[in-house]
Amino acid sequence: MLTGLGVRTTEEKDRELDRLLLRVGQGDREAFARLYGLTRGAVYALALSLLRDAHEAQDVAQDVYVKVWESAPAYRSQGSPMAWLLTVARNLARSRLRQSGRQIELDEEAWNAIPAAVPDVEERQFLRGALARLGTEEREIVLLHAVTGLKHREIAQLLELPLSTVLSKYHRGLKKLRAQMKGESDR
Amino acid sequence: MTDRELERKLADAVTRAAPDDLEAILSRCGEQNGSVIEMKELKSDIIDVEAVEVKPKRKLRPWLAAACAALVLLGAGGGGLIYRQSYAVASVVSLDVNPSIELKVNRAERVISCTALNTEAAAVLFDMDGGADLKGTKVDVAVNAIVGALVREGYLDSISSAILISVEDKDQDRAQRLQAELVASVDGVLRTQAPNTSVLSQVLDANTPATEYMTFNSGLSAGKASLVHKVMEMNGTLSLNSTTAFDQLAALSVEELSDLLETGEKRIPIGKDKAAWAAQEYAGTLVLSSNVVKDVDPELDDVPPRYEVELIVSGREYEYLVDAFTGQVLSGQKDVLNTSANTPAAPDPAPTAPDPGAQTPSTQKPSTQKPAETTPSTASQDVGEEAAKRAALDNAGLSSGDVTNWKIEREWDDGRLEYELEFWCGSTEYDCTVDGHTGAVLKCGIDHHEEYGSGHHGGSGTGGTVSADVGREAAKAAALAHAGVSENQAAGMKVERDWDDGRLEYDVEFYVGRTEYGYTIDGVTGAVLEYEWDIDD
Repeated sequence: MLTGLGVRTTEEKDRELDRLLLRVGQGDREAFARLYGLTRGAVYALALSLLRDAHEAQDVAQDVYVKVWESAPAYRSQGSPMAWLLTVARNLARSRLRQSGRQIELDEEAWNAIPAAVPDVEERQFLRGALARLGTEEREIVLLHAVTGLKHREIAQLLELPLSTVLSKYHRGLKKLRAQMKGESDR
Repeated sequence: MTDRELERKLADAVTRAAPDDLEAILSRCGEQNGSVIEMKELKSDIIDVEAVEVKPKRKLRPWLAAACAALVLLGAGGGGLIYRQSYAVASVVSLDVNPSIELKVNRAERVISCTALNTEAAAVLFDMDGGADLKGTKVDVAVNAIVGALVREGYLDSISSAILISVEDKDQDRAQRLQAELVASVDGVLRTQAPNTSVLSQVLDANTPATEYMTFNSGLSAGKASLVHKVMEMNGTLSLNSTTAFDQLAALSVEELSDLLETGEKRIPIGKDKAAWAAQEYAGTLVLSSNVVKDVDPELDDVPPRYEVELIVSGREYEYLVDAFTGQVLSGQKDVLNTSANTPAAPDPAPTAPDPGAQTPSTQKPSTQKPAETTPSTASQDVGEEAAKRAALDNAGLSSGDVTNWKIEREWDDGRLEYELEFWCGSTEYDCTVDGHTGAVLKCGIDHHEEYGSGHHGGSGTGGTVSADVGREAAKAAALAHAGVSENQAAGMKVERDWDDGRLEYDVEFYVGRTEYGYTIDGVTGAVLEYEWDIDD
């Protein structure tokens, strides 16, 4: 997790991730553990939003960090290490989708696999509802913004979408979440 | 709940859902790729260490075969696939368009590493395992493979695209030779695949230290940093040591930077993203969820310097010229979603330029306006039901064969002709509003009715069967009781049966005097789910 959730990625945090990646490149497992702790939420969120399956997202998240470990010696600072990490995650998730020939659209069953990891019932329902209610790109964008702290512009670059599309999908996504919460509180 | 609080709630839930697999991951982490390379690279500055490695033959990948074939055709030679690898870096070759890619090359001109310097480059290298597949290949083969990928990804298809090839080396003679080889090779490939692309090249001296803020900047190759440096020298920001100017320039494409140098323009343009935003804001298309930007082409060497932005809205193409420095829209149709009889079809007068130094567009307006924009749109124009259906289907990503149970209404709303369309795809209900004048999709809602399968859905929107349904009369009675009025007192009664996220609901609306009531009633229990009232002034 990139420190305080919902807080934007700052230059300091980017620099910290850069420094950690440099140390990981030298085989420093302690730095690797720290990097993992800071970013695992974001990587998992992206994998989950793309794969819509908790188990596959977990597998891909593991693969991402193994790949990071292996390729860290060749890592060169790009100023946005989180974007680099998420690009790796996105590529691996897409690759997995291609390999399995699986369509993105899954039924509710797949979503039901998620909540087991979340102990709080209300939170579980909220997460399941949020993931199911949002469209694929809305889900990616809202999660990336909320969990990774990436700016809309960075998300636009990562997802190769126009900034305006990212902004409109983000606002639509939040609107849907708000409607969902309103529905829950009315019940 | 604010947006931030909502995001935080979502982030908290995802974080707690994310499994902590550190131990499992660490158990899979073996030897790091390139860790040996790193050591030898470090040594290379002191003594020219060469490691010789013979790798087994591997399958020739399609892109590699194509790149080799291109070189054979050019007479440059392809090279075998059993290669001798040296880990000492002799030259660094960077390729910049918008994606920036860096190749470290040994004395035998074999690639030691290939690195994507920005996320766009990562996408270009995706089919090459992020660049790992290029290791060990001849640098000209690798460069041609990358150029081929850049063409395929559409980075070199504009009329004035530019690619920058930079070779950095301590041995300037060797760098000059390599530069000439690569330029000839790339030029040959682009001649057939992207003939409008300019190939720029430069040789950099690896002994010359870069300015500190340049080395820290993200996603920037040494080649592009050098180009930015030249622009800063030209426009005077270098002497100011302006990191802001550096960041702004670094965000531009090679084509834009090259144009600035060529024209001697000292101002810094706004960039493609801002130009696209300005055009969309002017066109009023920011509300649309679909991507309407087809292309943004910088024309900084034209008069006035501008960005040409193409938008596609409901199959129609709109072109906008945006001042490259002020972001002012110089020409193009305003508010394409709200075009009415009185809207002038010719380019709208541009808003006041905030930059006093900006050129006046009126006398410089380019003649690239497309006929489609100059055709007056009148209120009497009606795209028709079929076009409205096509627009709604396009927006939903469906074809007519995918959907059933059309319900279409043509109506006027605040002087605007609109089509209200409802249709079903399997168990998903779509509800779209299409502008009757332009064919633009104004809004589109989707409801999934998973638990009721893909069976019957009545054309009137009252589809779906459920064992417990309180019925219209009970729903109406529940609303009236809640409002404390009798049916005789209520006028304009409307009751609609609806599904919302799998839940049967009744929407009940009526007037009592000047007060309008709106209710949502649970279709199974008859409970009031939502209600509101409004006093009509």
